Amino acid sequence: MKQYDDPELQEIAEKLADPDPGIRRVAVLALVDSGEPEAAELLIQALKDEDPAVRQEAAKVVDEFDAEDIADSLLAALSDGDEVVRNAAAHALADLKDPSVAPPLLAALERSDDPFVVAGILRALKPLRVAAAQTPALHRLSDDDARVRREAVGVLGWLKAVENLPALIDRARSDADPEVRRAAAGALVYASAERVGPPLVAILDDPHWQVRCEAALGIGKLDYQAGLEALIAASRDGTWQVREKAAEALGKLGGVAAVPALGECARDAMSNLRKAAIGALGTIAEPECRPYIERALDDPDPDVRKLARWAQSQLDNAA
Amino acid sequence: MNASDIPVIDVDVLVIGGGTAGPMAAVTAKEQDPNLKVMLLEKANVKRSGAISMGMDGLNNAIVPGHSTPEQYVKEITIANDGIVHQPALMAYAQRSFPMIEKLDSWGVHFQKDETGDYDMKKVHHLGTYVLPMPEGHNVKKILYRRLRRHRVQIENRYQATRLLKDGDGRIAGMIGVNTRTAEPIIIRAKAVIMATGAAGRIGLPTSGYLFGTYENPSNNGDGHAMAYHVGADLANLECFQINPLLKDYNGPACAYVTGPLGGFTANSQGERFIECDYWSGQMMLEFFKELEGGNGPVFLKLDHLAEETIQEIETVLHTNERPSRGRFHDGRETDYRQHMVEMHISEVGFCSGHSASGVWVDETGATTVPGLYGAGDMASVAHSYMLGAFVYGQICGESAAAFAKERSEMPALDEAFIAAELERIQAPLKVTDGIPPAQMEYKVRRLVNDYLQPPKVTKKMEIGLQRILAVREDLPRLQATDPHELLRAMEVQSIIDCAEMAARASLYRTESRWGLYHYRVDCPEQNDSEWFCHTRLYKDDNGNMAHGKRPVAPYLVELGEEKDAYQKLRVQKAANA
Amino acid sequence: MPTATQRTSVPVIIDEDKCIADKGCTVCIDVCPLDVLWINPDTGKAHMRYDECWYCMPCEADCPTDAVKVEIPYLLR
Repeated sequence: MKQYDDPELQEIAEKLADPDPGIRRVAVLALVDSGEPEAAELLIQALKDEDPAVRQEAAKVVDEFDAEDIADSLLAALSDGDEVVRNAAAHALADLKDPSVAPPLLAALERSDDPFVVAGILRALKPLRVAAAQTPALHRLSDDDARVRREAVGVLGWLKAVENLPALIDRARSDADPEVRRAAAGALVYASAERVGPPLVAILDDPHWQVRCEAALGIGKLDYQAGLEALIAASRDGTWQVREKAAEALGKLGGVAAVPALGECARDAMSNLRKAAIGALGTIAEPECRPYIERALDDPDPDVRKLARWAQSQLDNAA
Repeated sequence: MNASDIPVIDVDVLVIGGGTAGPMAAVTAKEQDPNLKVMLLEKANVKRSGAISMGMDGLNNAIVPGHSTPEQYVKEITIANDGIVHQPALMAYAQRSFPMIEKLDSWGVHFQKDETGDYDMKKVHHLGTYVLPMPEGHNVKKILYRRLRRHRVQIENRYQATRLLKDGDGRIAGMIGVNTRTAEPIIIRAKAVIMATGAAGRIGLPTSGYLFGTYENPSNNGDGHAMAYHVGADLANLECFQINPLLKDYNGPACAYVTGPLGGFTANSQGERFIECDYWSGQMMLEFFKELEGGNGPVFLKLDHLAEETIQEIETVLHTNERPSRGRFHDGRETDYRQHMVEMHISEVGFCSGHSASGVWVDETGATTVPGLYGAGDMASVAHSYMLGAFVYGQICGESAAAFAKERSEMPALDEAFIAAELERIQAPLKVTDGIPPAQMEYKVRRLVNDYLQPPKVTKKMEIGLQRILAVREDLPRLQATDPHELLRAMEVQSIIDCAEMAARASLYRTESRWGLYHYRVDCPEQNDSEWFCHTRLYKDDNGNMAHGKRPVAPYLVELGEEKDAYQKLRVQKAANA
Repeated sequence: MPTATQRTSVPVIIDEDKCIADKGCTVCIDVCPLDVLWINPDTGKAHMRYDECWYCMPCEADCPTDAVKVEIPYLLR
């Protein structure tokens, strides 16, 4: 057994070699308090312990160590038989902000089939924003497992590369899983309005309300003027959360054409929507907005009244 | 044990308090110069101490380019504090806010990002956009701990600092304290000291009557405020109490900044919004208080109009971060966000610059009025700091203290007589027999704070309260501790008495009303700018008495201009016939 | 001044069958911000010795064997 200069670390090392797995488990917990860089190698040893409870314990504390020191072991732990170990390893890997760990992650991605592991590696690759992740991520967009597809969308969204748009649009429009569609729709906003505006408009008809919200949000963010009519239609969506996002987006687009629809929203029973509508009317600040804004000065909801007063000042300034 | 028997540990920079600001201060001092000897002293355990022991669910005051500017932020905080702010300190925070977010992000703290990797800022207030959610913010303490170890900061857990030490020239010299498990005293001699001891959150009594069911982490009991006072530092605007909205009885935050962007809101019993005021301020709390006491009260957190997916998201965030036991609390009462509004209330009073504006006076370098002594986080006077402000001022103090320590060539001399007297004070409760248990004395003084100092403040009541608090102080020679743990509580209750007295005296000094509910004096109901447009000082005078003074508000860096009345304009009362 | 001993129900419950304090584990005791958990000398297991709880949960979250359960203190429930 290796000898350590630091007496505390030496004591931990001895406990880690104890035949009783309970003692070894407690020793892992003590590793966290050691300031010695060599503690990392003892953690790696514990990640390979024969007892699953010890491995779990080691995995639970991996995020207390600098992942650079233990990257290889974390990658190995991604294939551990125990889900707690795999989960902890994937989380710790996601905290690696160093692009130099991308090559081992990519290598591990290539040889992995377990959806859980693949999703974990993709999540770890995402913040690294390395171009080499593009091809494998595109490949994983057609994975059977929705968790994998969702993380692949994440990688591509963060890369912000024009050539990935067709694949992302495809996922946003036709993936079977609503969360994948929502994430893909949200990712589209890195492109130009002309390029992704039409698909975002189409997504306003998605069966799931959160996907529709995401589309409305994107149209507004990109100021896609040709989406005006579709947003007006969305401002009458059956779900108030969609109407709310549509109203906000209409405000961002500006333009008088949206005013009557926003006026309708400003009478909605849901105060959150009335807030969004009056906020949008204040942003548009055309004379046509005034009657709706003035009526809202007496709204029972103080947030609506506050926004109405603000919108009134916007109108006065514009006049 | 005699004073000369106590071991003395020498360090360059001593940080007292290992919660949020403290670890950042210690790491920063090491970043400035790895050769500096830096010690972080903590009453509990650095791993899980302070206000964010279980993480944090969002930034309330993030100034991210493209969403808000430092100037806009300084303006809004100035208005929210009725003009009484030290703008240079606010500006120093505002300018470092985004770089600090980037630093924490690079350390592995999880901020919410959109699907392209940009910060997912949320607009909660009507003017600027400052809220950045952290749905996976439960690992903040682990990340800080990792940094402390990497920089080899010396950590001393389970030591309570009891008094700060000064040298003959009035500069800081270190501290004396006591181990909370063995009652062994300790002396740390330091060239520079940073206090990061958190709020004074255990001076009032929560409505449940449970001494430790406080809004703040109850280990934040005002030790730092008391130590700063006794070493001769200025405290500022202590009459500007902290009072927060909370879930009734559970006494933890309702997290309007988490639920707000998702469509939840604070409602009256009719299920309607009622808050006219925009920013989280004393004015907002006054409206909250009036609704609570009025015919449409009490007040509720309303989420029952939200979609199932949204409720699940809220539950995940609220039940894994900051105060995760709140899910258990709701379960116990069979409260389901889907079907029920959740009853809210207001917190007991305290001093906490994280949410309001009072504390140990510091300038834009984190310096107190005692040379070499710095303060950061909830205990220092920079208004509306929240967690990010604690990190930023931890960093600022780390830089300032490292520079101060490096310029000081020799270790300061220690005042032996002072140390002997303090040792006697520390050991006294252990020598008392048949005395008063700390919990009983603590309950009494905190009950007095509720009865006499809680706003609305009434002069005569506060005068009576002060007399009653001083009477409790007279009982101190009979305070008894039967073991080291009780000694910890006995030392804490002395800080609580100090803070209660400061709260009473500071509130009596400022003879006007300001900061909404925080300093609402029924018998001086108006704001009086001609006399009171100033910070108030509270300090120990040369005779050892609690004294007051005024500190002029430093010239503004950002003029308020036409936005000065912006909040007033936005607060439109419901028309009488509506 | 004479004193009395009063009983109080405490919010932190330890499952002694799961607790491994006897193997040297002190996690819950270490992380408690109020220092209210101690080793019970009679059993060698952790227990709540002082009713001074913020129901903040690190003891439960960090326990390696899920032996700790934090309940809401009775007065707040």
